[in-house]
Amino acid sequence: MASKKNEGKVIVPGTPEERNFVTTFTKGGATSKLSYVILGLENMVNGQVIKGLLFLWAEIVYWFFMFRSGFSMLAGLKTLGTHTQEMVLNEELGIYETVPGDNSMLILLTGVVAIVVTIAFIAVWLFSISSGEHARAQKAAGRHVRSFTEDVKSLANDNIHFSFLAIPVLGLSVFTVMPLFYMILMAFTNYDSEHQPPGNLFHWVELENFKTLLASSDRLSATFWPILGWTLIWGVCATFTCYFGGMVLAMVINSKGIKGKKFWRTLFVITYAVPAFISLRFVATMLGERGIFNVLLEQWGFTASPLPFLTNATWARVTVIVVNFWIGVPVTMLMVSGILMNIPAELYESAKLDGATPFVMFRKITFPYMWFVTTPYLISNLIGNFNNFNAIYFLTGGAPNSLDYFKGAGKTDLLVTWLYKLTKDSNDYNLAATIGIIIFILSATFTLVTFSRSGSVQNEEGFQ
Amino acid sequence: MKDKIVIGLNLKYYYYAMVAAVLTGISVFLPYASMDGKTVTILGAAMQAHGSGVDIILYGACYLSIVSAICAVLLFVMTSRKGVKLWQCIHAICVVSWTLLLFASRTILESAGIYSKFLNTHLSVGFWLGLVASYVALIFIMKVGETNIGYVPLTIMGVIWLFPILWIVLTAFREEQGYYVGYFIPHGFTFNNFIQLFSNPDKLPFGRWWVNTMIVAVCGCCINTMIVLMTAFILSRTRFKGRKAFMNILMIIGMFPGFMSLIAVYNILKGLGLNQSLLALIIVGAAGAAMGYHVTKGFFDTIPKALDEAAIIDGATRFQIFTKVTLPLSKSIIVYIVLGAFLGAWSDYIFPSMLFGDRQQSYTVAVGLYWMTDYRRIDNYYTQFAAGAVVVAVPIVILFVWLQRFYVEGLSGAVKG
Repeated sequence: MASKKNEGKVIVPGTPEERNFVTTFTKGGATSKLSYVILGLENMVNGQVIKGLLFLWAEIVYWFFMFRSGFSMLAGLKTLGTHTQEMVLNEELGIYETVPGDNSMLILLTGVVAIVVTIAFIAVWLFSISSGEHARAQKAAGRHVRSFTEDVKSLANDNIHFSFLAIPVLGLSVFTVMPLFYMILMAFTNYDSEHQPPGNLFHWVELENFKTLLASSDRLSATFWPILGWTLIWGVCATFTCYFGGMVLAMVINSKGIKGKKFWRTLFVITYAVPAFISLRFVATMLGERGIFNVLLEQWGFTASPLPFLTNATWARVTVIVVNFWIGVPVTMLMVSGILMNIPAELYESAKLDGATPFVMFRKITFPYMWFVTTPYLISNLIGNFNNFNAIYFLTGGAPNSLDYFKGAGKTDLLVTWLYKLTKDSNDYNLAATIGIIIFILSATFTLVTFSRSGSVQNEEGFQ
Repeated sequence: MKDKIVIGLNLKYYYYAMVAAVLTGISVFLPYASMDGKTVTILGAAMQAHGSGVDIILYGACYLSIVSAICAVLLFVMTSRKGVKLWQCIHAICVVSWTLLLFASRTILESAGIYSKFLNTHLSVGFWLGLVASYVALIFIMKVGETNIGYVPLTIMGVIWLFPILWIVLTAFREEQGYYVGYFIPHGFTFNNFIQLFSNPDKLPFGRWWVNTMIVAVCGCCINTMIVLMTAFILSRTRFKGRKAFMNILMIIGMFPGFMSLIAVYNILKGLGLNQSLLALIIVGAAGAAMGYHVTKGFFDTIPKALDEAAIIDGATRFQIFTKVTLPLSKSIIVYIVLGAFLGAWSDYIFPSMLFGDRQQSYTVAVGLYWMTDYRRIDNYYTQFAAGAVVVAVPIVILFVWLQRFYVEGLSGAVKG
């Protein structure tokens, strides 16, 4: 990319030409070349001693770490441990003792740490080269080279992104990227309930997990495909019922002649404001066989025996969609209310003069406008619902369980709740990680569609 | 009626309203329910019923329907705005009675000794005709009276939406313990459930859970808000090399299901010696906070860039722009983030439950309440669970309703023209 940029560029004599990562080395002098090995040398030579020393210090720390433990950590990744924990007869005491073997899980984790540290070091390395080159170019052109205090001061000004993003980047690397990396690697191992460290080792199995999950004829793929199907059906139903329900509700509340708009809005917002796990847990108890719904339905003379709201597969699936509607409509209503007020009132007035009925006005004015504005929201909501852990887990916990399914999975389980069960209940981490990657692929596909279509993303500076 | 004009009334629909109201009146004399060859009209049932408190519903449906039909005919002769409004009121109560009758028929008919083992499938043509006709009549009367018919669906939906909430509150104050009760309204009311929540720290350390959650919520709230604001500010108001790449990386990370990596996070925390502590919860929350920069960035994008440029000309640093220009303009979005972070801490379940395992002393409210609804404990703790839910939900609802305006502004700020 960088070389392409330079192709058509005429270098004016007298001004220092721009050098990229490669040309800094090829065109640079001895110190430039040396600073690829001894970090910060270029900075030190050109008057930025403290900055240069900091780079050098980072390099020393890195190599110290690598030679002390880093290389063995990386080497461990290759096999994930070779010694199994075993029982050895202690002849003096005449009993069997456990001799600890390798712990594959820790080997994998520390290996990932070493990789992440290395990536961080490469970033520092690249940064030091470009920083040294910048200092050299400034000095060569006879311009001012920033001192260390000036550099620190610039952290509050033109380099503010370094200081403001430092904490988020650090946090994300340690607690999001590193674990994620670790779990992605796990999808290519056989770290399941039968290969649990420290008792057992696990090792690399390449794409075996994907094959059994997607294409084998055993129980796993017989669980995966129906759950994927239900996840998609659930996502579409949950998203669109809430979307249209919320839109209609917002339109009714905002229509002319409804008094106490704030009162009505608050009434519905209450269900949204109660934390979801409370209302969902509670509704789940209400829907039980002896729950209040069944009691009341019998008392009111609707049914003679309890209805299987959460125990029959089809009933349970309909129930979760309905309950999600109850939870989700107020959110959409709040969001839509804001957008509805932005539709120019003249449109409705002129439509009314032309004799349009309310339904025609909805179809020709309100809906196209809403659709245009909310498409990105809708698709991100769809992805959110594919991954709607709370609604399923707190309401049914995936139940009713099915004998046709892999251990523990139930008829209302989504891919995410199944993933969670595999992690927490049955410790089949490799399968959980594989499902996680599949969910990622699913979300990524939908997100790509959104981002290629959404005006507000492509045109982010439209309002500035 | 066609040539008649009354200000404030839309008489185009009067005939429909009148016909529907008269039909409602007539249906009182039609068969209400029939079972085992025995048929009874609503009027007949109303004559026989006596004693039980719900009979008033039957009386209401019966007599108000007749009154409404008479109103329809009377107002046809002497139309007036006040008269129609009065009719509308009477008929609205009539409709409520008909609707409640759907739920109360069994009780009424059985307590009057007319039937036993009654089911709603035994309700007969008179009832269904009355129910439908009364709704149709109400809609047309509202059209005549130029009242927005939106009140009808709003009222129905409002009742449905509040029904579970009402049940939570009633259960929290219920004197009779246990999960299963065969009635809706408790026989006795008490504050005991609330007292038990806080007076029994060994078996049920709810007070401890509440304090834990409060600590996490307040700390998380402050730290997360700062992080989100800073990230969004950088990504919205400054341009630097790698900005797009950074945003893309965040987007890609965001597409992996978050708790896929929880087990790894747990191991890392263990390595750092932080497992099973509240600090871990705060740190992990803060570490991931930057992912939620989207809405805030969208909000910052709508602040005119000219403001920043003017400040730069006046010699302000970026940091000063952040504190003196951007933040003062962002009150609603700040409230939005604070509220979101605060609520998030109260309802976050997955990570705390994995982090704390069976160490009850460090539970947050969400984990603790979930623990109480386990099928082994639900019979013992159901009313206390409800009381706990109320204790948690009430402050949040008040906060939410109070700050609702900001929430809506924050949500729609990004797309506002």
